[in-house]
Amino acid sequence: MQAKPYWNPYMAGALLGVTLLATFLVAGQGLGASAFQKRIVALGTAEVAPNWTTENTALGKYVADGANPLRNWLIVEVIGVILGGFIAAASAGRLKATVEKGPRISTRGRLVYAAGGGVVMGFAAALARGCTSGQALSGGALLATGSWLFMLMVFAGGYSVAYFVRRQWI
Amino acid sequence: MSAIFPLDFATDEVRLLSAIVIGVFFGFALERGGFGNARKLAAQFYLYDMAVFKVMFTAILVAMVGFYSLAGIGLVDPSLMWVNPTFVWAQVVGGFLLGVGFVMSGLCPGTSFVAAASGRYDGWVAIGGVFVGTFAFAVVVDWFPGLKALYEGGSMGVSFLYDVFDLSATNFVLIIVVVAAAGFLGAEMVERAFSDRFERLPLSPVRTRLTPRLNSAFVGALAVVALVAATGWAPNNGLTESVSMNSISAFEVAERLIAGDPELLILDARDSTEREAGLIPQAYSVVINEDAPTVLATAGAATTVVVVFSEGADSIDVPSSWPAGPIYSAMRGGWEGWRSEVLEPQIAGSYDAEARALAARKAQVGAYFSGSVIDASSVAAPPPVMSSGGATRRKAGGC
Repeated sequence: MQAKPYWNPYMAGALLGVTLLATFLVAGQGLGASAFQKRIVALGTAEVAPNWTTENTALGKYVADGANPLRNWLIVEVIGVILGGFIAAASAGRLKATVEKGPRISTRGRLVYAAGGGVVMGFAAALARGCTSGQALSGGALLATGSWLFMLMVFAGGYSVAYFVRRQWI
Repeated sequence: MSAIFPLDFATDEVRLLSAIVIGVFFGFALERGGFGNARKLAAQFYLYDMAVFKVMFTAILVAMVGFYSLAGIGLVDPSLMWVNPTFVWAQVVGGFLLGVGFVMSGLCPGTSFVAAASGRYDGWVAIGGVFVGTFAFAVVVDWFPGLKALYEGGSMGVSFLYDVFDLSATNFVLIIVVVAAAGFLGAEMVERAFSDRFERLPLSPVRTRLTPRLNSAFVGALAVVALVAATGWAPNNGLTESVSMNSISAFEVAERLIAGDPELLILDARDSTEREAGLIPQAYSVVINEDAPTVLATAGAATTVVVVFSEGADSIDVPSSWPAGPIYSAMRGGWEGWRSEVLEPQIAGSYDAEARALAARKAQVGAYFSGSVIDASSVAAPPPVMSSGGATRRKAGGC
């Protein structure tokens, strides 16, 4: 199947916005993504070191009162995201086992950057109590003060180091 | 209109089931927008494809206008929403770092799931990286007091931008719509200016002559919805429509108390100093926005809820935190009304038998509540009328 072009960004944004609004109305909260990793990490450390996890500043709240960190709306939602992403890519002929990169970098170099960026993002999302989905998008639409600070700083951070990693992309 | 959102699920399982449906739409919209592709996302930071900005702000506008409009007409109760609490410094530093990670991996935590689902290895690797970073933060946050202080510092609780700027929510929503519309125009100009310097990304949507017009029509429609919401749906600019309380006389309340009316619920909303003047039997002492809703949870649709303030007022709005259903009435004159009408009734003599019966009853009721001895003189018959003709006399017990 010939890969179809992406949607007009305003159309994709409108569908995303309607989905986010439905999330507010149905779940009484916003969307999320990095909670998936946080809760699985909490589950893992609670297996190995239960006391350490309960007392941990970042993870304690996920296992408070013997709660199962995976029994959570966001965990199920992320499973849906993977499913929805797969359906969208498959139905548009964009399902492809490959690595997205610019022409001037090796696949291996690109994967190192992707992993390194992931580590930085995991640290950042834990510090900020959310990522682009939970803070910028969801908190942004509700006009939460910290979420807008976060969003502006994401763009600031991205633009300020873009020059140094340009070999990856352009 | 009573709030029906956010939905109240019968069981946790049904609520979790809703998550998978919404998640599918989330992932679908991200992929269709090109967000499973790290190159397209990273292009935002080199200015030749502004899809990140456009998709994100369109989504924010739609959800924001929708949410605040529905809150304005009272269909959604904002007080039941989970809103990200603000921790200024953690979010400033965390946001900056996330931006750095974003341009390095070309993905953010959410889009890395979509990239992985569409077969991109860089997506899988980024997901793994986020695991490592999350674990690393959990380990080091308790090692370095400075990091913990950063994580917990600058706490403002749940804080809204419109409160920070001291504007009404609806006016602020309008401002964001206008700013975002200007941002979209700017993004289109930037894209055009930089598009010649870079190779066009594969699979980018084809721009037709109609595209700019469709885009402006979309932003215009949103602005109109926001404008209507601001001016028509939420005239009071609070997030709820206001309902005035009925009023009820202190004497009627007293009679219903004596009759033992089970559908009577009295809330004493005076503060503790004001309450020293005296209490009304069976009244709950409450703070309007704190424990009153708990007491009111027991009230049914047939219940008359009488609210006693220290003084009377012409019109008192039913607080938005109170449940819909019961009939809310403010006691006329407040505590003053209770004192002057029930505890110390001023009883004037009258020639009218009905008025005299009422006066006698008021004296009885007053005695019942104040514990004083009935002052017989106060209900004594007035001096007889001099027969000067023309005075109409009603037959007692007639009609």
